[in-house]
Amino acid sequence: MPLVGNLRDFALHDFLYLVDRGYKTGSLMLNRPSTDDAAHLYFDKGKLLSVVRPQRRERLGELLIRLGKVSPQQLAQALQTQQMNNARPLGQILVEHGVIGQRDLQFCIQQQIEETVYELFAWRDGEFKFQAGQKPAPDDVQSLVPLPVENLIMEGVRRVDEMSRIKERIPNNDMIVRFVDRPQEKAANINMTADEWRIFARINGRSSINEIADKIGLTPYAVSHIVFGFITAGLVEVTRPTGGQSSKAPVAAQAQRVGSTPTRRSAAEPAYVEPPKKSLVARLINRIRGL
Amino acid sequence: MQTVKMVISGAVNAGKTEFIRSISEIEVVSTERKATDETRLLKKETTVAMDFGRITIANDLVLHLFGTPGQRRFDFMWEILSEGALGLVVVVDSTRPETFRETTRIVEFFNEMRPAPYIIAANKQDKDTAWSPDELRLALRLPEQVKVVPCIATQRDSCKNVLLELLYEIMETAKEG
Ligand SMILES: Nc1nc2c(ncn2[C@@H]2O[C@H](COP(=O)(O)OP(=O)(O)OP(=O)(O)O)[C@@H](O)[C@H]2O)c(=O)[nH]1
Ligand SMILES: [Mg+2]
Repeated sequence: MPLVGNLRDFALHDFLYLVDRGYKTGSLMLNRPSTDDAAHLYFDKGKLLSVVRPQRRERLGELLIRLGKVSPQQLAQALQTQQMNNARPLGQILVEHGVIGQRDLQFCIQQQIEETVYELFAWRDGEFKFQAGQKPAPDDVQSLVPLPVENLIMEGVRRVDEMSRIKERIPNNDMIVRFVDRPQEKAANINMTADEWRIFARINGRSSINEIADKIGLTPYAVSHIVFGFITAGLVEVTRPTGGQSSKAPVAAQAQRVGSTPTRRSAAEPAYVEPPKKSLVARLINRIRGL
Repeated sequence: MQTVKMVISGAVNAGKTEFIRSISEIEVVSTERKATDETRLLKKETTVAMDFGRITIANDLVLHLFGTPGQRRFDFMWEILSEGALGLVVVVDSTRPETFRETTRIVEFFNEMRPAPYIIAANKQDKDTAWSPDELRLALRLPEQVKVVPCIATQRDSCKNVLLELLYEIMETAKEG
């Protein structure tokens, strides 16, 4: 059963998240009758393989010539080789001919894919249809290794400016931000802007959006926007502040441990933390000795 | 779940990413690569890869390792990241004297802020051209009480040793209980 809908309701970055988490293989067809535009994205086990814009399809050889990596003669030779023992990927032949290095080739392809996806993030509407199992055509430009999508998700979310989208995930700015269980698996694929870094470094499972905003001098909206990106990329989650008897026990326990209620802290208050307890340090030492 | 953090700082190319990668539970793949001008135009802002590692201490306790970005543009991260940190490691490429001045700048910042105990990791000791920890201490004009520990960031045991040396320092300032 194909998944169908409109980007107005389910944005491309939402879809990338679904594909990533769902480990999906198949094609996402985007159609925009208003501008007579279309795009096809191909995924392999949750990672992106290829993006094609049918109206201005560019084959690998054309891409490499455009980037000045390959001359028309070199391409003609490689295509000849390809015809003689067919079905071998052109990229592989160019690498074997010593025309381009494997890394350089991958870099060009990846760049092309990413840039195309960035363009697609600008589409506020458009029909989409996901069909499982579909593969790109042999002469479509394909990444040599499937690309993780977390970084693309973050880049997509940076372009979202609709408050309502953000409110769906972050109903108010007293929500507490904390890391998901294994954030580093996702974090490994993400590059951050300066402000994103600022916020990322303050996530501790105790501070709310408002408190983080206070401390770094950004508006709560700006912080919630960025946290929304982290949530979408699967790095963090938000929980309600604990009024004592919340369903989220771990947050309650933490708030008690530091002896503070999650109220807003004034920016003037020094941020220094007390020295840790010896028992805590001893636990760290024991564990690291045992590594 | 309680999380505590340590910060791995140092000049560009010192070996911060390598250090975190070696000691973390899950391989930290740094995705940093040079963007073409075209990508830069398409992207809204410059971004920087983060180094982020984790060591599970127990069911209820996790240690996070944060690497600071090497470029100067991201200097402000030192302060933010070191806030609330248990301790800091300043990694130095012992083979490249041209980075010592930058390292001193970082060390001075931490001396002034005193956010937490710190030690110097004299990295890349596997290379012939590496300055020894003692030489580095002099070159960086480090106060006597600051530890300089030899390090090979590509080796886990070596990183482990650096963290332990830092933890012994932290233990000195820890409070009873
Ligand atoms: N021989 C040797 N090489 C090392 C060692 N530590 C790091 N390197 C190498 O030095 C280079 C830089 O290491 P990174 O870990 O990327 O340095 P970094 O501090 O994260 O650099 P930036 O993020 O650019 O500031 C890499 O090529 C590493 O493989 C070491 O102990 N010995
Ligand atoms: Mg690095």
